[in-house]
Amino acid sequence: MRAVQDPSDPADHDHVILARMLADAERLCGTRDALMVGQYKHLHGRIAALVEITRPTQEAGA
Amino acid sequence: MSVDAQSRIATTGPDRPFAESARLARLAAMTRGELEALQLRKLRRQLARLQRSSTYYARRIEQARIDPETVTLDAFRDAFPFSNKTDFLADQTGHPPFGQRLGIPREEVALVNMTGGTSGQGQEIYGRSQRDIHTQGYLHALPWYMAGLRPGDIAFNCVPAGGLTTGGWGPGEGLRIIGATAFHVGGTLSTDAKIDLMQRIGEVNFIYASTNYLHTLTEALLRRGLEPKRAFPTMRTLFIAAEGYPLEWAQRIQALWGCRLQEGYGSTQCAGFGASTCADGAVTDSGGRGLMHLFEWETLFEVVDPATLRPVASGEVGELVVTNLSIEGSPVIRFRTGDAARFVACRDTGFGRPWHAIECGTIGRFDDMMKIRGNNVWPSAVDAAIFAGRDIAEYVGRVYTSEEGKTEVEVRVAFADHVPADPAVRQRLLEDVRAAIKNKTNVWMTVVAVERSELPEFTYKARRWKDERQKGYRL
Repeated sequence: MRAVQDPSDPADHDHVILARMLADAERLCGTRDALMVGQYKHLHGRIAALVEITRPTQEAGA
Repeated sequence: MSVDAQSRIATTGPDRPFAESARLARLAAMTRGELEALQLRKLRRQLARLQRSSTYYARRIEQARIDPETVTLDAFRDAFPFSNKTDFLADQTGHPPFGQRLGIPREEVALVNMTGGTSGQGQEIYGRSQRDIHTQGYLHALPWYMAGLRPGDIAFNCVPAGGLTTGGWGPGEGLRIIGATAFHVGGTLSTDAKIDLMQRIGEVNFIYASTNYLHTLTEALLRRGLEPKRAFPTMRTLFIAAEGYPLEWAQRIQALWGCRLQEGYGSTQCAGFGASTCADGAVTDSGGRGLMHLFEWETLFEVVDPATLRPVASGEVGELVVTNLSIEGSPVIRFRTGDAARFVACRDTGFGRPWHAIECGTIGRFDDMMKIRGNNVWPSAVDAAIFAGRDIAEYVGRVYTSEEGKTEVEVRVAFADHVPADPAVRQRLLEDVRAAIKNKTNVWMTVVAVERSELPEFTYKARRWKDERQKGYRL
């Protein structure tokens, strides 16, 4: 099932930005710096939660 | 420290914080000049922002006749006015609740912190932004990382969580963002219940507690016949803060727990910790006092003579003055803390890092000093005399005016469980304690024995002393 995303819709626009941020945060989590890795995972978790919160309400075929 | 403990430390990766964090290694490898250049860039940005956003600090910048864009560290330290608790309380009274020093729009305050109010003067109020909440967490995670805490470690936070203090919120955030598995047991479980939980979990790696509470916890374990290092063989770090202690006590704690004792210096004004030990710990391998390294890239520290307000030399005791370089909500700029610390310049630390340091175990207050019969007596000095041995479990002190109008001091002590009940033995110990106090303070005090149950169990900062002299002044 594919999520319907309309970039002109402000809610969908936020979701697109957050999904991009999530991908960047995932890359940060690959650090081998033991002082930073927990902080990056924390950031990743916060963004991941917002990605879920902003997930488009309409699904393809709904 | 025991051979057991040394070998455990040598074989654990967390003993190498610089090898495991390139970011921390880079900060440690800077020259002093590079570190000061970083401080200056952050200071200029902070002052420029506050000139626009805080009437309180804009007034001080004007008073100092400095330009935030071009000011130097020397010019800042020469000209910028100090602030103290009285200034902040007056600011809050005039412009409640945060005062004009807030520096961010009020609707951006995401967390309110207040100081403890133990001074009796009133509580400072701080408004922290979302960004500050992470910074406060980082300023707890950083010292604990340096002391050996790693993602996935099991940590017991014995400081009461939540509420209004920085110490109530920062540790939770710090443990969360370092990725530790945290049990916030402070203030919610009795000491015995904490021990029960620790035993159920078993593999505890880290304890954060006030100096006094670590003493209470250790005392309770021993009372139950548990030897800490056998009961918790995976313990790697005991991290204390808030109060000074005798060196002998620290050595004894390390021997009992079989791991390093670590210490941090922190406050609401520092938005968490401003300094901490590193893998080297609070007691050096040669048995001396360790050093707490100042996080000078986050907080600009000055250590000044409280009388002249000029910087003290390396090795001397002075008052800590702090300036936040990263905090944006209710930042402190040249705030006089009233905290007394022995300053050690980076060139004298022997570590080759550009960070200045302060001595472990001797942080005191300039304002809790008691003038007794012409002598300056700090509670920390009496602590040092009483807890240097293992025979006293706890004590409280009282200064009062006798019916004859003389200043008297009574110290009520409770013996540790292992002390024999023999009255002659106990009397001799009381005399030893009395002599040790005289030796440290130059004051003869009356020392009496009481049951342990008659004395309070301090769960955070110990408040052992009462000054009741004014009650005796009644006619």
